[in-house]
Amino acid sequence: MLLRYITRRMLIGVVQLFCLVIAVFFLIRLLPADPVSRLVGLNSSEEAYAQAAAQLGLDRPLFEQLGIYLGLYPEIAPGLLQGSLGVSWATGSTVGSEIATFLPVTLQLITLAFFLAFAVSIPVGMLGALNPGKAADKGVFVYSLFAGSQPEFWWGLLFVYVFYFQLGVAPAPLGQLSPMTFPPEPVTGFMLIDTLIAGEPAKFVEALHHLMMPVITLAFILSGPIIKMVRQNMVRALQSDFVLYANLVGLPRKRVARYALRAAMGPSMTLIGILYGFMLSGAVLVESVFSLGGIGQYAIRSVLAFDYPAIQGVVLVITAISLVVYLLLDLIHAAIDPRIAY
Amino acid sequence: MKTMMSTATAALCALTVAGAATAQEILILAEDVPAGLNYDGPAAAIPSSQQGMVTLLEPLVGYADGETIDGVVVPDFDTFEGRLAESWEYDEDTLTWTFNLRQGVTGCGGATFNADDVIYTFERAKSVSGAAPIGWFLSNVASIDGFGPEVFGEDPAAKELGDSIVKIDDYTVQLRQAEPNALLLPVLTIFGLLIFDKETMEANATADDPWSHDYVNNTNAPGFGGYCIESWAKNEQITYTAYPDYYRGAPDATRVSVRRVPQSSNRLVVLRSGQADLVTGLTPREYNSIADTDGLTVAGVTGNENLFIHMNYDVEPFDNIALRRAIAHAIPFDQIIATGYFGEATQWNGMVPSTYPGYTESAGFTYDPDMARDLLAEAGYPNGEGLDAFAEAFALSYVAEKESTLGPIVNVIQTALREVGIPATLDPIPQTQYGDRQLVRRDLPFAVNDQEKPIGVDAGYAIQLFFVSPENGGLNNMVNYRNADLDAMWAEARVDPDTASRDATLAQIQDMLAADVTWLPVVEYRTQWAFNDRISGLKWYPDNSIRYTDLQVEE
Amino acid sequence: MTEFSHDVLLDEPAYVPPARKADWLMRIGVTIVTLVCFLALFGPYIGPYDPTRTTIRIAEPPPGLTEIPGLMAGWIGGTLDHPPHWMGTDANGYDIFSRVIAAPRTDLKIALLANLLSLTVGVFFGLVAGYWRNWGTELLVRVSDVVQSFPVFILAMVLVALAGRSATNIIIALAFVYTPIYLRLTRAEVLSQTSRGFVEAARAMGNSELSIALRHVLPNSLTPALIQSSVTIGFAILLTAGLSFVGAGVRPPTPEWGLMISTGANQIVLGEWWPSVFPGLAISLTVFGFAVLGNALERRYEKG
Repeated sequence: MLLRYITRRMLIGVVQLFCLVIAVFFLIRLLPADPVSRLVGLNSSEEAYAQAAAQLGLDRPLFEQLGIYLGLYPEIAPGLLQGSLGVSWATGSTVGSEIATFLPVTLQLITLAFFLAFAVSIPVGMLGALNPGKAADKGVFVYSLFAGSQPEFWWGLLFVYVFYFQLGVAPAPLGQLSPMTFPPEPVTGFMLIDTLIAGEPAKFVEALHHLMMPVITLAFILSGPIIKMVRQNMVRALQSDFVLYANLVGLPRKRVARYALRAAMGPSMTLIGILYGFMLSGAVLVESVFSLGGIGQYAIRSVLAFDYPAIQGVVLVITAISLVVYLLLDLIHAAIDPRIAY
Repeated sequence: MKTMMSTATAALCALTVAGAATAQEILILAEDVPAGLNYDGPAAAIPSSQQGMVTLLEPLVGYADGETIDGVVVPDFDTFEGRLAESWEYDEDTLTWTFNLRQGVTGCGGATFNADDVIYTFERAKSVSGAAPIGWFLSNVASIDGFGPEVFGEDPAAKELGDSIVKIDDYTVQLRQAEPNALLLPVLTIFGLLIFDKETMEANATADDPWSHDYVNNTNAPGFGGYCIESWAKNEQITYTAYPDYYRGAPDATRVSVRRVPQSSNRLVVLRSGQADLVTGLTPREYNSIADTDGLTVAGVTGNENLFIHMNYDVEPFDNIALRRAIAHAIPFDQIIATGYFGEATQWNGMVPSTYPGYTESAGFTYDPDMARDLLAEAGYPNGEGLDAFAEAFALSYVAEKESTLGPIVNVIQTALREVGIPATLDPIPQTQYGDRQLVRRDLPFAVNDQEKPIGVDAGYAIQLFFVSPENGGLNNMVNYRNADLDAMWAEARVDPDTASRDATLAQIQDMLAADVTWLPVVEYRTQWAFNDRISGLKWYPDNSIRYTDLQVEE
Repeated sequence: MTEFSHDVLLDEPAYVPPARKADWLMRIGVTIVTLVCFLALFGPYIGPYDPTRTTIRIAEPPPGLTEIPGLMAGWIGGTLDHPPHWMGTDANGYDIFSRVIAAPRTDLKIALLANLLSLTVGVFFGLVAGYWRNWGTELLVRVSDVVQSFPVFILAMVLVALAGRSATNIIIALAFVYTPIYLRLTRAEVLSQTSRGFVEAARAMGNSELSIALRHVLPNSLTPALIQSSVTIGFAILLTAGLSFVGAGVRPPTPEWGLMISTGANQIVLGEWWPSVFPGLAISLTVFGFAVLGNALERRYEKG
């Protein structure tokens, strides 16, 4: 049953992705400019423009371009069916290899931010839920409303001003490492892992130090909705029959709370999935403030440069990851909550 | 390769641990590192990529050093000197140039330079096999025989070099032009015709890619320059090591690392902290903020960078000359120089860069709002009445990526224009779109432009590029200016062998342009760099890239 | 396993906080929203400077707290040569205070109109998709899924790049992003309404399907969407500001909080805090105000 469910979800996902690819393909071809002039620059002649346009395949009929992108004409260029996302028009590198360098930066950032947000939100949310109506609950409630409605890029800038400029405890917002440090040989693309693989603990610490402020900024924003959700699900779980029963039979309060937490975590997973998917591109503002070259930055650069293959690739990859995350979290939810069957 | 890379990385780690960069090694921060090193490739039009090309590759000829202004050496545009070519002769009757090549020049790959490398470079240019045929374009500008538009046709023979450039012996090459054209030597100095090392290039060619475009786009541009590539991560950093056998002498800076720090203020922060040696591309305000800082130097030169206002003749109401003049007198030049450039600019009183041979002081607009109002009335729009119908035309476009430099200037212009009744608004658009609309569509109505540096250092070249009617070869006539008289005069001056009479015609043309406010010249601003006490010896080149070989580094 | 996907979030009733709690909070929310609405109407006219005209004073810091009384006296007494820049000036020479109070007109206009547009379209399609269930409406829901799974920021940037930077295009881009949310909300509500008896009753009384949908189901299904509005308006302000921050927002020099933050963002590492801090504070409070209000409305609805 489980296998059938997964297969069905994957199939739906593939259809969704396919629709998306088609939609994006046509949407960006409505863009008001193409990058040919940027490629040729230098006040070139009409022949040179035509040559450059032909190099990009822009002279082919639209449906043939789509076919090439999908991989129906592998003799012209490899496409999606051959596992290729095409070649970036701005740099000449393959979109796949570029995404492979930008994506880990974002994944690392938002995964750490989620862990931190979770570590803070669970006890805080429980504190609220276990003391309904008391001052602590009110405080938690106001905090979650506040944190959930803040402009994260502004908080990032504020943190830079306070912790870098005024106090000097944080590094300048210059990316993953200081400009003087040479990054380790990329193996996984995740700076924290690569520094360890290269056996350079000093750089690991440095990378962690540089990640500190962006992670705190994001975790602060994320903690709003997560606390709200934990608290809400926790209250619901505390009112459920099995908790009432556990209380009746006189189980210790801590243990009951633990049971309730377990029951509350399930529905929270869904929210985490949505937030994670959103943050893949939504972290762009924080990336921008801290000069982290993440996938969102890559997306913006691609849109600004009218780099069609790169835009298509980024959208496809982000959406595909979101879909996989949704699926995984639904499965985890099912594992936590035995009432869900497939 | 892999082992070499990791040894290098290990060496660098040792360096970092030791603290600031030690002896003769320098760290440069720039807006970006090269996105490609192929001048016929997709990243060629981007200045940071050109910086990489001129670091690795050498030209056949260059300009001799001229004056030293404020500590920066500027070229003498009237004197050429040999680089990979040692000397040359020109035969007027056959339009043939004979280049005697330098002997004993070697490159990072171990190859020795000879005529085959020159032939290879031009063959590759004429193959027009890359994304952007810039080598072909420059050859075409210099009227090299056989480099016409026919190379883009179906006939494969037109893409072969033929007999216009031939190898006489290992150290002699002959080149034939199709017509007299003074631009050959200037063109050979430009990054788009730098010489490749044939041996290494061919070793990295594949059946699908016989001209090694992939290799040059992504790995290395092998040539005979003063530096060799050590490591290169696009969007991150590029490191060069000095080539000790460089034919012009081993460079003083033994290792140059360039790191990408996109925001100018961040580059400034690192420079101030003492961790970087040289930064480029700060905003005028940022340069100004460190002008008096001990241990830091801001050097600059009025080279060929300028800012002008672009008004499109094909868009109403910019076809109205009185309106164009009204706008010219509504611009507060001094305020722009003060608040936009912190004094590091002067009003531009001409139509081509004032440093170029053939320049005449032809324009000279004064800031006079009353006169602007009178001219506006003369144009048929007293106090701006009736101009609201053209709201879209008065959206002043500029390159959005340059917001921190252009922001203060366009906002002053916008305010000043509304002061006299012209309903100006602002419209920042991305570089790519700006380029597309300026060069291909030519439909930008109203814009501020600070990025036109004619690559041919000559007033005539600038006129041909920007002001000759599009139909008669004005490739970058972005304002759609059409003037039959001007076209005729340029056709004459172009082949005029007498410099004095050519200059006289060019001066006349420049006066015509100023009378029509073809461009509204605003300022010429200084190209600047900021660096610490260890660095000296900077020279300026018309492409505004630094040659690391020029730098003197204190230990 | 039926309706089990990521929209669980939207189908669940919100948590009901205990009664009487945080009434003061509600008052804060109402105050903030009222003030912002007031500024949206009059803000551009009451500042000491024209918000779109530069001064010759570039990046002047705001007065220190101790200087304020003196400046105030000088201002009233007319002894100053120019009105004080209470929040300083930015890198282009604009008076920040005048722009901060003029900005709600832009920000609120975009947020309200984007919300109205997505509400109308979303509710309409939600009603259709919930009331008439066939393959066509199923397709509609799937299409909205695809739109929803599209990365919001990139979508908005592409739309703005397509049509140019203008308030209208940002409104359309935001509406595009928010419509699927209203569609889902309304559809879920319609589904639960139609399973109640009154639709059957109305049918039995001979009402046409259209009139049942419009006169009976729609009014009963509208509430969740309306409550969502307050939250959406807040988030629309955030998204508008975010778009400006990455260069896809309204055109300068329109006073807009996100644009103002981005103008100052570059210089914050050099210690120039005032051009970004003041407009950011305004966004922070405004969106919080709308969130509080939305929460209060939600509570009312849950109660009764």
